[in-house]
Amino acid sequence: MAKYFSKEKWKYLFYTITHPMDGYYWIRHQERGSVPIAVLLVVLFSFSFSANRLLASFVVNDIDPRVVDSFFELIGVLAAYLLLCVSNWSITCLMNGEGRLKDIAIAIGYGTAPITIMMLLGTIVSRFVADDEQAFYTMIIAAGIAYGVIMILVGIMQVHNYSLGKTLITLFLTLVAVFIIIFLLLLLSNLLGMVVNFFRSVYTEIIFRT
Amino acid sequence: MKKFRRIRQAASLCLASLLLAGTTAGEVHATSIPYDTYNYDYREYIHFTPAAYVPDTTVRGSGLTWNGEPLGSFVTPQDLCQADDGRIYVADTGNNRIVVLDGKMREVLNVISTFDNNGSEDSFKQPYGVFVSEKNEIYVADSQNNRVVVLDQAGKLVKIVANPQSESLEEGYVFVPLKVAVDYADRVYVIAQNMFEGIMVFESNGSFSTFFGTIEVEISAWEKFWARLASKEERAKQVLFIPTEFTGIDIDPDGFVYASNIDPGGEQGVRRLNPRGEDVIKKGENGNVGGDLWITGTTEYAGPSQFTDVVYRENGIYSCLDRKRGRIFTYDHEGNLLYIFGGLGSQEGTFALPVAVEDIGDRMVVLDATRGEISCFQVTEYGRLINEAVGLRYDGSEASAVAVWERVLELDENNELANTGIGKAYLTAGEYELAMKYLELGMNRDHYSVAYRRFRNEKLTANASYILTGIAALIAARLIYRQWKKKKTGKAGVENG
Repeated sequence: MAKYFSKEKWKYLFYTITHPMDGYYWIRHQERGSVPIAVLLVVLFSFSFSANRLLASFVVNDIDPRVVDSFFELIGVLAAYLLLCVSNWSITCLMNGEGRLKDIAIAIGYGTAPITIMMLLGTIVSRFVADDEQAFYTMIIAAGIAYGVIMILVGIMQVHNYSLGKTLITLFLTLVAVFIIIFLLLLLSNLLGMVVNFFRSVYTEIIFRT
Repeated sequence: MKKFRRIRQAASLCLASLLLAGTTAGEVHATSIPYDTYNYDYREYIHFTPAAYVPDTTVRGSGLTWNGEPLGSFVTPQDLCQADDGRIYVADTGNNRIVVLDGKMREVLNVISTFDNNGSEDSFKQPYGVFVSEKNEIYVADSQNNRVVVLDQAGKLVKIVANPQSESLEEGYVFVPLKVAVDYADRVYVIAQNMFEGIMVFESNGSFSTFFGTIEVEISAWEKFWARLASKEERAKQVLFIPTEFTGIDIDPDGFVYASNIDPGGEQGVRRLNPRGEDVIKKGENGNVGGDLWITGTTEYAGPSQFTDVVYRENGIYSCLDRKRGRIFTYDHEGNLLYIFGGLGSQEGTFALPVAVEDIGDRMVVLDATRGEISCFQVTEYGRLINEAVGLRYDGSEASAVAVWERVLELDENNELANTGIGKAYLTAGEYELAMKYLELGMNRDHYSVAYRRFRNEKLTANASYILTGIAALIAARLIYRQWKKKKTGKAGVENG
């Protein structure tokens, strides 16, 4: 455990945030990143997302607190993370990507860090803004998301050693793969349900006949 | 042992009777009003409120007498209207007559079924609408005779409005007036059957002047796309895009025309038309003056509200009658939904086919065409307080409305209008913290924002000395720390060197 959460790894996380190009390159080639930290960052992202929806001031926040369920959102974010990693991995495997699943997980996980930070900052700032100062809040959140997206983009590009154009194409294909996976999962669950139903009816039939 | 059993029996009897008493009391309360009274909040959730109006009495034609003889039941009455002097005019369509009742609807003051038309006796044929002008002249939409008959109080003919002549009318157009209203300048506004171009306006001399408040047809991009794909034959078979007709009409003292229509989208069932015929209604926080917001479903009971009549009341308040679910929706001049009451059913206070609504002092009356009845609703404490508070706000005296809103809150804690009203008053009074509390409860973001900004600035100015001292102290601390660190590293350097 200490290996994954060592001081060096944490320090390298901040280096990656400030120098994405270099950072991700050495993550791929020198094992400087850590998957547990990446997963932790995704969990933190989910928390800050829920916190933003729940705690941002009334001035900027139009979300009904009754519909915010942080546990459900955590599950959703983790599922999306898993889905993105797996589908990106399966696409890049076919397109000469050099990255391993581990590297993709780190690339995406580290990329959420700026969004998490800016969302928390925005939530705090929102408690102090009035009507026409809303722009500050929006700008903070937008900047966080923009930087996060750029980081993920650069991360994918560096770990697979792609050009920018190829990265964009693979990202598009990744989205397609996400939909295919969801479709297959639905199909699978549906068919499994049918099989279960079949055995259940056989069982009831036997029970009723004896 | 025997004694013990007896005690137990007595105890169980007591308990049972208590329980029974409890349930019957609850039932009595539940059945006293035969409809749900609710409202929609900012998030469009339903929240149940106390009743604003409760069923009072029902007036039937069979219970009234005229000249010592029974009046006889109303037959499919279609309209009713109260004059400024308090008299109530009922268009008894199926009996071809106009019945005039006193303000309490206990006595019949007059029955108009014939009038003198230039020497010959004339009568009505299916009089569909009735309206009394400020000059106390009676306007009757005599639908099957294709005319609007104007009578004075003595029953003498004043004029007849018929035969509209205009280039914009199709040839062979048959004028069938259904509803009529008259403004302060004696201009006559007529809703005519199959007239999709709007309300027909006649000058005081009876000549047709113009169409008014045309409802635009909205065609979505999707429908346009399909129309483009369709062949000519297919297009000919499709349903025409026809604007909806107006269903009911009323006029406020300033000459603004309130007209209800059936909106298939359920967003706007009523229009407020300025003298130029433009819609100037305000739609409130939910952007909706179309009745119910929860309208999805596949049952016959689902679907948008169908406003069949509108009545302007006072202080910008107007009520619309929904024939789909028999409810009366009351809005203020900002389009906020104030309260909802009424319903379909067979109990007293519910309707089979409501067609017209009118405001009579502290009562609301609804005319039921199928049953030929007039249902009266008495205002409750809750309804009266809301009317009063909205009236005060309409007059601009928000501060004096606070006491009234506070009493509304005692009856209905979640009333957003009341919370907003109190919050705004606190905001004007400079009590920003309280204003913020109430404005947040009232979900009024704009005013909350203003209150918050003033609260924050007030706090900042009040504590400016502490804040500035704090900042100065921090800077000083930082300077000292740097000095100290420099000294230390300097020493270290010396030591190392």
